[in-house]
Amino acid sequence: MTSSDTVLKVVDLGVSYGGSPAISRLDFEIRRGEFVAILGPSGCGKSSMLNTLSGLMAPTRGRVVVDGDELYLPRSRDPRLGYVFQAHRLLPWRTVRQNLELVLSASEVPRETWEARIDEILEILHISQFKDAWPMRLSGGQRQRVSIARALLVDPSYILMDEPLSTLDEVTARSLRQELTGICQRTGATVVFVTHSIREAVYLADRILILTRGPSTIFEDYHVPIERPRDYDDARIREVEADIIRRIQVPWGLDMPQTTERRSA
Amino acid sequence: MRLSEKRAWSALAMLLLLPAWWIAHRNTTFIADPVEVFAHLPGFLADPGTWLNIGVTLWRVAAGLALGVAAGVFAAFAMRHSRVLREVLGYYVTAALRTPSAIAAILAVAIFRGNEAGYVAVVAFITFPYMAVGLRDGLESADRELEELAQIYHLGLWRQIRHITAPFVAPFLFSALRNAHALAWKVIVVAEIFGAARTGFGAAFEHAWNYMLMVEVHLWLLVFMAIVLIAEYGVIRRLETFVFRWRG
Repeated sequence: MTSSDTVLKVVDLGVSYGGSPAISRLDFEIRRGEFVAILGPSGCGKSSMLNTLSGLMAPTRGRVVVDGDELYLPRSRDPRLGYVFQAHRLLPWRTVRQNLELVLSASEVPRETWEARIDEILEILHISQFKDAWPMRLSGGQRQRVSIARALLVDPSYILMDEPLSTLDEVTARSLRQELTGICQRTGATVVFVTHSIREAVYLADRILILTRGPSTIFEDYHVPIERPRDYDDARIREVEADIIRRIQVPWGLDMPQTTERRSA
Repeated sequence: MRLSEKRAWSALAMLLLLPAWWIAHRNTTFIADPVEVFAHLPGFLADPGTWLNIGVTLWRVAAGLALGVAAGVFAAFAMRHSRVLREVLGYYVTAALRTPSAIAAILAVAIFRGNEAGYVAVVAFITFPYMAVGLRDGLESADRELEELAQIYHLGLWRQIRHITAPFVAPFLFSALRNAHALAWKVIVVAEIFGAARTGFGAAFEHAWNYMLMVEVHLWLLVFMAIVLIAEYGVIRRLETFVFRWRG
């Protein structure tokens, strides 16, 4: 593995708010084309982590290196990132095409290639027919597809996804989840995917960074031992899910039903 | 509601006015006969003097409103971005908001001594706080999540203002503009009457009133209503429909 394979390097990252730590210490690397899920209990500092990885908030301590460039140095280059938010955050007063064009207008992508690029991405996400539609006319799943298209469009170093399927109904989430790995493989995107769903993380990710309770550190860097393509309802997915639940029970302070029964027995 | 249906309801609303007008005419001495007023309407509209007076008032309203909008937008942005300016300008905005239109009209006319600038100034003075307060409220409710979006995708200040902030505050802007526009028409007539203007709607109306030319008084009232309605429905609402076409 060469160093150029590393897209994101986080070294000794710490975040505090007024002296109260949200992230204790994070060290990890993500390689090009990897799909890494971040799993952590509520309040473990996932939002703070996403804010620092997206360039929105400087960490209190440590470094974030994107494609070899320090993110928080005074003269550092702005990284090309994609971000898929929990809610789509499309501009309702711009059509799908206009939403995508706005992001391109701020990038270095030559204008003459915009049209073809937009067509290609919309085709990959199966939403070509909505190119000139207003976001209000789209369903939740279609809006989230546009949001993913927007993130992919600028050929980002990596894409941050903050529980992008959590606001969708189960059927829509299932179908998008199924397509997501294919889309990422086809585009070669590197993804940092934050989720509360262990099964979702197992299904989608190559690696799962399991965080401790806040102020967080990495409790385990878990390599998902299942080859692709995967089936969401496959028994092996459930086995790995159960294995992770067993591992996090103590560090997350979970009180699982079987544990309670055993205690009362 | 379809356009034809909308028009039918508007026409009905206008027609309902006629019986009320006729009853008032039958029971008072100073309300003119609607039939007589409508009979004089073609000649009134054919008179170039009518259009001159309308044009003068329209110009005063448009110029005053433009100035008021510009001042209001500036004040709103200044109040949003500076704590000191928020405090300082806040007092002026509140004072202007509470000043009765008639007092503002008299003061402006006295200060500018009946000069054309006085009429423009009074419209601007009365309308600017509505714009400032409306837009300030819009800016204060600006979506933090969309600001983050702009930051992540490096949109820069100009693109953020043009494509995110401005469309976001547009509903607040239009709401303020409608209020300011309605107020502008009310205050200009008062200013023209108090300022003893020689031309303009208020001047023509006052002349007709002083000489008890009741048919002419009613004709001017009709014209006034028509102008205000055309401006509201023909310009502002159409513009609003275009700007908010994404709402479907």
